[in-house]
Amino acid sequence: MLSYIIRRLLYMIPIIIGVAFLTFLLFTYFGEDPVRVALGQHATAAAIEELRNLWGLNKPLYLQFWDFLVQIMTFDFGTSFTTGESLSEIFREGALVSLKLTGPPFLLGIVINIAISLVISYWRDSYLDHVSRFIFIFSMSISYLIYIILLQYFLAYKLEWFPIQGYEEGFSGLVYFILPWFIMILVSMGPDIRIYRTIFLDQTKADYCRTAKAKGAGNNRVLFVHVLKNAMIPILTHTVVAIPFLITGAFVMERYFGIPGIGDVTITAINEGDFPILKGVTIVMAILYSVFNLITDVLYAFFDPRVTLD
Amino acid sequence: MSLKPFAFVLLFSIWGCKSEEEKTSSLSRSAVLTNDGASIHYARSADPKTLDPVAQLDQISGSFISNLYDTLVEYHYLKRPYKLIPSLLEEMPKVSEDGKTYSFKLKKGVYFQDDACFPDGKGKELKAIDVLYTIKRFADANLNVRSWFLLDEVIEGLDEYREKTKTQGSGKVDHLTEKVSGLEKVNDYEFKIKLKRVNPRFMYSFAASSLAIVPYEAVNHYKNEFARHPVGTGPFKLEKYKNKQTMTFVRNNKYFLKYPDSGEEGDKEKGLLADAGRKLPLLSSVKIHFIPESQPQMLKFKKGELAWVGLDRDNFIKMAIKDEKGQFKLKPEEAKKYSLYTEPGLSAFLYFFNMKNPLLSQNKKLRQAIVMAIDINHKIELLRNGRGNKLYTIVPESIAGSEKDIGKLWYDYDLEAAKKLLAEAGYNDKSGYPNLTLTMAGSTSVHKKDFEFIRNSLAKIGIILKPDYKTWTTHTQTLVKGEYDLASWAWGADYPDAENFFQLFYGGNIGDSNYSFFNHAEFNNLYEEIRFMADSPEKFERLKKMMTILKEEIPFVLDYTPLISGLIQKNIKNFKRNIMMYLPFKYINVEQIVHKSD
Repeated sequence: MLSYIIRRLLYMIPIIIGVAFLTFLLFTYFGEDPVRVALGQHATAAAIEELRNLWGLNKPLYLQFWDFLVQIMTFDFGTSFTTGESLSEIFREGALVSLKLTGPPFLLGIVINIAISLVISYWRDSYLDHVSRFIFIFSMSISYLIYIILLQYFLAYKLEWFPIQGYEEGFSGLVYFILPWFIMILVSMGPDIRIYRTIFLDQTKADYCRTAKAKGAGNNRVLFVHVLKNAMIPILTHTVVAIPFLITGAFVMERYFGIPGIGDVTITAINEGDFPILKGVTIVMAILYSVFNLITDVLYAFFDPRVTLD
Repeated sequence: MSLKPFAFVLLFSIWGCKSEEEKTSSLSRSAVLTNDGASIHYARSADPKTLDPVAQLDQISGSFISNLYDTLVEYHYLKRPYKLIPSLLEEMPKVSEDGKTYSFKLKKGVYFQDDACFPDGKGKELKAIDVLYTIKRFADANLNVRSWFLLDEVIEGLDEYREKTKTQGSGKVDHLTEKVSGLEKVNDYEFKIKLKRVNPRFMYSFAASSLAIVPYEAVNHYKNEFARHPVGTGPFKLEKYKNKQTMTFVRNNKYFLKYPDSGEEGDKEKGLLADAGRKLPLLSSVKIHFIPESQPQMLKFKKGELAWVGLDRDNFIKMAIKDEKGQFKLKPEEAKKYSLYTEPGLSAFLYFFNMKNPLLSQNKKLRQAIVMAIDINHKIELLRNGRGNKLYTIVPESIAGSEKDIGKLWYDYDLEAAKKLLAEAGYNDKSGYPNLTLTMAGSTSVHKKDFEFIRNSLAKIGIILKPDYKTWTTHTQTLVKGEYDLASWAWGADYPDAENFFQLFYGGNIGDSNYSFFNHAEFNNLYEEIRFMADSPEKFERLKKMMTILKEEIPFVLDYTPLISGLIQKNIKNFKRNIMMYLPFKYINVEQIVHKSD
């Protein structure tokens, strides 16, 4: 297994270089020109030249790309074009805040959604199954933004159950997270329950279920002991792959609820053409995604004896 | 042992626990009165990019800096057209007979706020050396790229000084000791600035937040962290700043300015002079919340948690109406709770004709037909809810040299005349009609609706218009290269002077700000004359000639100037929207607490 992990880690090098190259290409040729964005209506030829020199954008492209690779190797992405802040600092602060926003509803969502899926699977093809299918498909058709706008308006403004937005560190600041957490769980229900239900139903048709029933196991035991255990493998895959997105934050949610995470930083950077931040976020995302993919594969082998890693 | 009870306790303690912020805001809402004065809450859409004056030019950073630092001069809070008055200066500078040397006299007894950068932590008195240091620091090419244009080619020896900072590199030139021929210290409170040429507009630069006066002690003490440690003479001190969350200003008790004792007509009746002569700032503190989206901003305002808020198009439709005199007012149910403010903006929207394009440049009647086929007033009503004024000169109404001073010098909508002009231009059903492209500086729904309006207007006279939606930077690159037929553009005033708008058509600015590639010898000569003229009947006469040339040559479609609007809580006093002073916290007062039970 160790050789497999080392091999996969080595495979990550060309992947990261490829991502870096594509990112560099996209932002250099197709993205907003940060110099013109920064100078606005005063983008005279002389001012553009000066700012390009100051930000190192007048260097030959291969040198700029090399600088980018060095930044990735040293994990030091420099400073933001617009604020001059250190990116390491921005990531460190932002990632923790984003995790605080996305982590709890993610974990709670898994538990709630698995529980509901089990119940629906247990009563498959019943009235409950049909109604819930309609509700969840309907809920999936509604934009994430609509949930945020409507629930912020009704629950926070009209009913005053929650603060409209804000952020504060410490235990007392948790009050600002309750509504975003609630919305995130609500939004995750449709797609997750649909997937989990399918996984559970696939498992209930498997041979081992028939064998268990033949041996006299009741429906409850088959579902909650045998099916749940076996269904954990695809559920685990589905779950672990989503973890990198928790760190990079929930873009729209952070902006509407004033939570200063990586998502908010990223949107601001897109609007202002802050290339260092965008480069950093993309590469961090690529690395996290590759690492968690590897973890998923390793866990898969760990939980399923049929899978071996060579 | 069951964990259930603990889980419930935890859940309810989180639910029931209101944060410190919530406790304050729900008790006080937008404002609270204390023994020390009032405190207000306000929201901005983004953090300042920096609090170092020299490193910024954007409106958001500038609005915070102008509350923490002071400039030599500032715009009168109440009077219109916008007028410069002394701030750190004792009086407006005396100008030598040749018009090139300005003698400045600083107010005595102006102190920087107490800070660790000063000996014993006591703020020092502002002296001429600080002003000269600030000007030299402003010229440092390693620190300032964005706002250098304000003093570019203006002060004797300063451009050479900038070159020196460029060649020697960052931090190598000592701004305290290096000499600049055009900057002379007379004594601790007096200094002189020698200009390269006569330039009455020069003083506008000293009202810009980029030239707010900084003490060298703070720059040297905080070095790279100076952008987060403002040390100014301004009305407020920065007490707390949490990135992307909140910023708290507290009153600077040593502040020296007083509330203006005069304004424009009607200000007294509106209660805007009730605090005349009182020491500023009137508030004890201001808490600014950074809220990027407009919905939470508006909801917090409606809940009484913010002092005032800008009004976007959707909320404007819901809350405001036009009265029989054409003035905006709030709907009765809203008017009971809030007040509405409106103020003409200082920007001009237009569409450039590409005068490099032979189809357009060689056919004046075609250009005129296009201009007369677009009903700008209808566009303002339809797409901006009436929040704007059709422009009849390139200069917005709040600036001297606008139509108020030189008259209406642009075309009115006349569809029949446009059709006739197009026929005279050689286009008819037999010969066919021109196909043109309109390049738009964005692809939002606003840009798309604007395009559709123009397309529909031109279709009525037979012209076929195609869209080319671009991002801001690709749009400007397209304009610089002259690769367009018609292109949308907007110009915001850097300073309230007509010259700032007429320069859009000066031949010497082609490719820099003149994107129509219009180059007219007489216009250029007139521009060079007015460039360094103070507002006067002679200047207005020349502006009139220039505008007449533009009307005759038609290098653009003149669009409109927007009306800025917003809502204020009823208990907020002294609020008057000043476009040159975005956050006038120092003048604001609070009448009473807005009570709302929890």
